[in-house]
Amino acid sequence: KINLCSVSLRVEGMTCGSCVQSIEQRIGSLHGVIHIKVSLEKKSATVIFDSSQQSPESLSEAVEDMGFESSVPESSTAT
Amino acid sequence: MTKHEFEVAMTCEGCSGAVARILNKLGDVKFEIDLPKKLVWIESDKDVDVLMETLKKCGKEVKYNGTK
Repeated sequence: KINLCSVSLRVEGMTCGSCVQSIEQRIGSLHGVIHIKVSLEKKSATVIFDSSQQSPESLSEAVEDMGFESSVPESSTAT
Repeated sequence: MTKHEFEVAMTCEGCSGAVARILNKLGDVKFEIDLPKKLVWIESDKDVDVLMETLKKCGKEVKYNGTK
């Protein structure tokens, strides 16, 4: 059973399209990630994921692991 | 300490910044990044495999060029 959630993470440190691409590819290949859209202008990553396999925190950690700064905005609780 | 040379497919300052942050997090390493040449020199006693895995975390292609 899949429990879909969506979260917009703040991502700092991206400067070009290749940064965006590598994040989309790497995070997009994680278990439980259905879709990811990274925006360079908004410095954000919008992720649709299965909440039984990932959480906003685990996704944010995965982005940090790649060398970018990431945080979960308090306002956006997963729905 | 051994100095290793890696080729990392970095295209911009965001890429090299990410590499620098990853290496800082790993700790216990000294490194230099040459963005135009896409080279990263790392001085560390850590295993090459460990350094390799760490660099790969940024999602870019990494090639090991040997010790310098």
